[in-house]
Amino acid sequence: MKYLLVKSTDSEILKRAECGGAVTSLFKYLLDKKLVDGVLALKKGEDVYDGIPVFITSSDELPEVSGSLHCATINFGKIIGKYFADKKIAVPTKPCDAMAIKELAKLKQVNLDNIYMIGLNCGGTVSPITAMKMIKLFYEVNPKDVIKEEIDKGKFIIFLKDGTEKAIKIDELEERGFGRRKNCQRCEVMIPRMADIACGNWGAEKGWTFVEVCSEKGRKLIEDAEKEGYIKIKEPSKKAIEIREKIENVMIKMAKKFQKKHLEEEYPSLEEWQKYWNRCIKCYGCRDNCPLCFCVECKLEKDYMEKGKIPPNPIMFQGIRLSHVSPSCINCGQCEDACPMDIPLSYIFHRMQLRFRDTFGYIPGVDDSLPPLISELDK
Amino acid sequence: MTNSIEDIEDADCILIIGSNTFEQHPLIARRVVKAKDKGAKIIVIDPRKTMTAKQADLYLQIVPGTNVALINAMMHVIIKEGLIDEEFIKNRTKGFEELKKVVEKYTPEYASKICKVDKDLIVEAARVYGSAKRASILYCMGVTQFTHGVDNVKSCCNLALITGNIGKRGTGVNPLRGQNNVQGACDMGALPDVFPGYQKVNVAYEKFEEIWGVELNHEMGLTIPEMIKKAGKEIKFLYIMGENPMVSDPDIKHVEKALKSLDFLVVQDIFLTETAELADIVLPAACWAEKEGTFTNTERRVQLIRKAVNPPGEALEDWVIIKKLAEKLDYGDKFNYKSPKDIFEEIRKVTPQYAGITYERLGVDGIHWPCPNETHPGTPILHVEKFLTQDDLGRIFPIEYKNPAELPDDEYPFILTTGRIIFHYHTGTMTRRSKHMINEINDGFVEINPKDAKKLGIKNNDLVKVSSRRGGVAVKAKITENIKEGVVFMPFHFAETAANLLTNPAIDPYCKIPEFKVCAVKIEKL
Ligand code: SF4
Ligand code: SF4
Ligand code: SF4
Repeated sequence: MKYLLVKSTDSEILKRAECGGAVTSLFKYLLDKKLVDGVLALKKGEDVYDGIPVFITSSDELPEVSGSLHCATINFGKIIGKYFADKKIAVPTKPCDAMAIKELAKLKQVNLDNIYMIGLNCGGTVSPITAMKMIKLFYEVNPKDVIKEEIDKGKFIIFLKDGTEKAIKIDELEERGFGRRKNCQRCEVMIPRMADIACGNWGAEKGWTFVEVCSEKGRKLIEDAEKEGYIKIKEPSKKAIEIREKIENVMIKMAKKFQKKHLEEEYPSLEEWQKYWNRCIKCYGCRDNCPLCFCVECKLEKDYMEKGKIPPNPIMFQGIRLSHVSPSCINCGQCEDACPMDIPLSYIFHRMQLRFRDTFGYIPGVDDSLPPLISELDK
Repeated sequence: MTNSIEDIEDADCILIIGSNTFEQHPLIARRVVKAKDKGAKIIVIDPRKTMTAKQADLYLQIVPGTNVALINAMMHVIIKEGLIDEEFIKNRTKGFEELKKVVEKYTPEYASKICKVDKDLIVEAARVYGSAKRASILYCMGVTQFTHGVDNVKSCCNLALITGNIGKRGTGVNPLRGQNNVQGACDMGALPDVFPGYQKVNVAYEKFEEIWGVELNHEMGLTIPEMIKKAGKEIKFLYIMGENPMVSDPDIKHVEKALKSLDFLVVQDIFLTETAELADIVLPAACWAEKEGTFTNTERRVQLIRKAVNPPGEALEDWVIIKKLAEKLDYGDKFNYKSPKDIFEEIRKVTPQYAGITYERLGVDGIHWPCPNETHPGTPILHVEKFLTQDDLGRIFPIEYKNPAELPDDEYPFILTTGRIIFHYHTGTMTRRSKHMINEINDGFVEINPKDAKKLGIKNNDLVKVSSRRGGVAVKAKITENIKEGVVFMPFHFAETAANLLTNPAIDPYCKIPEFKVCAVKIEKL
């Protein structure tokens, strides 16, 4: 049982569900049976551009957190490491969440035995500011009137207060410099196979969730939830599996194209990087938001760094972080999102990681081993 | 600000004068960066080659206190080269002919001698600003903290007016406020001469007597420097809220004497500041995360804040403290508020600029005042169609250059200018309690140009004594090319090496701001 179609048995969940309600039902099962202390998920904040991480401990609160928010670009890795390391939790994970959690587990910052990773296929997220701007510019509506958004069949779709909807092809938006975050455009991991299961609608029949079982824990979860009557299961057709594979492959190809564009053709020159580093105000936002930067005593705050002065020396400041983090960089884009000076940080980290991958074959967030250099140090 | 923060991105030229935007307003600097990425030209005028100056296309290293001469010279060039906006001047302004006469003598050569800036640079800056389609001026304390601060501001306005750079996106005259709610505090009448909404006390007092149901004093109040001057004499009791004059005011020795001569001093703050230590009673206040209400930021955006945690210990929200005091004074019925929202409802009633703003409308994004009624969307850009004068015309005020109050002489040969650094906030009440910030830097310093240092035989990190007519401070020397010859700079955050022991309490005759940016000092190696 690797591929499954799953459907909730709960009519309330099905009513709200985008496709089959498998994710919500599995959370309900885990909460009801007290297999976890709680579920860490995103709840819609003031509007569709705002996602707030919440920890819910009862299945009554599940309606608050179901449904996807493509403009909430939060990564759960660091939150779990910092606040939930000693809790048993379930968490919906985009591939970059799952990869961050996996990397942190290798570095003993989180314990995978305590975490159910319910993976969500992901075709990319849109930064809230970009989303609002493009909705104003190209959809020609007030961004505040949007009550729901969706990404489907290559389109970014918005649903308005007055009941109408509008859709524009993501390709078109991206050609004009909008659309998904730059790191998402380059991301080759759409299906989070490092999670316990990976859920999505690609290849799924209407009303069902397509689930790929990715771990022993995931298999047991599905079996038990079915036994307890929370979900229904059936086998997907061969065609469904093929469709899903095809979608994945097309998206990987597109990502590679963007990698070439961002990391080669349009990659900033040395002078441009110099110009970028000269803007750095040493706010530490990149470090504080990088899921992989977790050290209690960060080298960037040590006395050999020149202090009290900006911009910091890039060879030291950005250089140290590059050497520490880039081998395991999962291209989650958190650093770039945080940077108040608009420095395209994940370009350089992602590019270094890809070089590292080409040389050492190490794929962060996917491989079970530590990156080669860190494993050397461990010995 | 006449314009919004966001629309700076649309400027073709950004003139930054007396503002170290990258260190003091990084999120506004972010807009500068975006504009620059789109091709905007950046001009920076500052005696220090700050991080902001280093991003500039044109950098004019001016002698502190000579802004008026420089801007007059820029206008001289702009007028001479026909870069003015004649239509705008004709239809929207008044006073251009007088200005023309005054700036006549401010040739680049003439100004160059006063400002010690190369004359060609002045010409180039004038051309870049004057020929931009949309030019924005950003300024801060390096324009206002002078005995001729008001003149400086008027000069900036003149420059914008004669080039038509006002009332549209990417333009404007934009003072960057140093604190999250200093705009809001002014809006609420926390100034000696106005009630909420800038209604003059001597004019609007009857209206407010009626609304508040009490008799009001309709004489102008005192500014901080005046209060300090009168402390212990006419003033026996002072109640200071969220202000730390023992670090932030000029001539601290005098401030200390003044505060100590009071009969009774009450300080309300979130920490025991240098000033609170002198108080008879300290009222512990709640910080921003511990209270509800609104803040109005530098772009006149009224923003709703929500409480994240309860205040610790005995600390209370400011409004609760004031309400309790009022009750003790038997005015409980006049302060009958149950929540900050009740207070906001009153604010709307008495402040025309806020009339259309409600808690419900504020949402996450807030609203820019003026917002006269509940269907009005707010006003991100001021003066689009007319100015707030009786005839709707913008006033051009010709300004002559005047010297600062205290100039260097044989005994005190250097100009001291003061300011802030990115890692600390104002008097350090908050940031100097942060482990990360003090790990970055926790000591004062004085920046000295290498040429001056050589003459004085001072090396980097030497301990030196900086003294003015008012006092002396022992502090570490930082030798750097970034400071103009003949000028030294000290941050004022650090009470142990307080720059304000040295500064001159001379004030601008109109707005009473002290001259923090220029005083004469001498430097001796210790
Ligand atoms: S360096 Fe940036 S992109 Fe890479 S893992 Fe850290 S935050 Fe994510
Ligand atoms: S920069 Fe290096 S030392 Fe600092 S937190 Fe990141 S990984 Fe740790
Ligand atoms: S987030 Fe940007 S500005 Fe802040 S320290 Fe990192 S690179 Fe510098």
